Amino acid sequence: MADKKQNNNISKLSFEQAIKDLTSIVSKIEQGQIPLQDSLEQYERGMALIKHCRGILQQAEKRIEKIATEEKSEDR
Amino acid sequence: MQNKARIYTVSQVNLLVKVALEERLPSRLTVRGEISDWKLHKESGHCYFSLKDEDGVLPCVMWASSFRGVKFAPEDGMAVLATGHIDVYMAGGKYQLYVDKLELEGVGALQLAFEQMVRKLAAEGLFDEAHKKPLPAYPMRIGILTSESGAAIEDIKDSIWNRWPCARLFLYPVPVQGEGAAQKIAAALRDVNRRNKKLSLDVLIVGRGGGSPEDLWAFNEEVLARAIYDSKIPVISAVGHEIDTTIADFVADARASTPTKAGVVAVPDIREVLSELANKENRLAHKTKGQLELVWQKLQTLLASSVFRNPLLPVHNREQEIDDLQTAMRSSVRELLAQAQRKLSESYEQVRKIEPHRLLGRKMVELNNWQNLANSGIKGIINNCRMKLTAAANRLGALNPKSVLERGFSITTSKKTGLIVRSLSDIEIGDLLITELVRENLIESKVTNKVKR
Repeated sequence: MADKKQNNNISKLSFEQAIKDLTSIVSKIEQGQIPLQDSLEQYERGMALIKHCRGILQQAEKRIEKIATEEKSEDR
Repeated sequence: MQNKARIYTVSQVNLLVKVALEERLPSRLTVRGEISDWKLHKESGHCYFSLKDEDGVLPCVMWASSFRGVKFAPEDGMAVLATGHIDVYMAGGKYQLYVDKLELEGVGALQLAFEQMVRKLAAEGLFDEAHKKPLPAYPMRIGILTSESGAAIEDIKDSIWNRWPCARLFLYPVPVQGEGAAQKIAAALRDVNRRNKKLSLDVLIVGRGGGSPEDLWAFNEEVLARAIYDSKIPVISAVGHEIDTTIADFVADARASTPTKAGVVAVPDIREVLSELANKENRLAHKTKGQLELVWQKLQTLLASSVFRNPLLPVHNREQEIDDLQTAMRSSVRELLAQAQRKLSESYEQVRKIEPHRLLGRKMVELNNWQNLANSGIKGIINNCRMKLTAAANRLGALNPKSVLERGFSITTSKKTGLIVRSLSDIEIGDLLITELVRENLIESKVTNKVKR
């Protein structure tokens, strides 16, 4: 349950936030001062974050959307 | 002879003038004046004209190669700045300005206005580094404010997607030159900021492709500078060519020298980001694996200890204790049972000696005798009582007053008092009498006379 919830949270993270979280996880684990159980959880979360980031990077619609000016759309 | 004046040829004089001019005049100069007698030679493409002011005229020539760089069509009466050098045209016997750069004088005015605006806004702090917002490291939604039809949008688009194909681009079409362009771009900036809760753009790029200073002028206007300054979303300027600098560049949070450089400024390179991700993945996996191995070794050490080598020993010890206890319990229970058995046997023997069945027979006979005796006794008593009862009933029958009525007597009572009439004094004339006959038949009568005898 908790795991699923965590993953759901990850899928909503912005790329920037995901990278930030990932960086903090890597440095925490590299400092090696967290208990094994936590580090396994952090490892899984880190891997999920990496997957999430790669997923975002793979999105490439390459389509320019146009911002309609609001005044116009209101006038009409 | 020596005083005799030297005679020069025409060419010599012209040459002297040429040398004098070369020595005395600056090698390059800019002249302000008004064009007159403009002539463009059709075959050669060279231009011949004059610059004049209130007091004089300066003949000018501009070769076709230089004229190609002029962005406007010169006409008589235009105020211009002509840059070049003065030389003598020997064939014509005149000095003239050889022009290699021709600008409308208005451009000079623009330059002045630009410098003034830079000073003013700088003094107000619009260009302060402290106010500049950091650009997002990984912008995913990028707003582009430029002309829909210009080359800039293509350049910006390519420069971004070549590096960062995952970005979504949002074009806000605005005019980028001409009257009112600056106001429209500024309004668009404010509009995007106002609506950014919904649009959620990470960064904005404002720009256009190269052009004349006039073309780029919108990006020098105060109204746009202030809109860029006020933007909550970081703004990147991308205006003109490398050499062009506009006020928008000064006030923006970051500057791309041209639209083709917008991507380098605005977005990271996806290859670098991917390799950074891979690097993090490796570190994460490597470190976690290392930690796991460490823990595994600790576990192995622990497993080697005696508790784990023979984990059931304490259990077995306990089991043995239980077995001992069970054996002891069994033998003591067996002992108890044997004792109880012995006691039972003894009691049985005692009971047998009493011979309870014979005792019972004798008592039964006694009981029968007692019963017969009791029966005959009770019968006698009942007969005796019955005889006494009959005699009493007979006597009682003779005494009952109502039995007299059977024989024709009656009982008279006063209705008033309810008492039996025994003498004349018991009644008065007019009293009602009730006379009871046998079987409760009643007669009511009235006293009319009392006769005493």
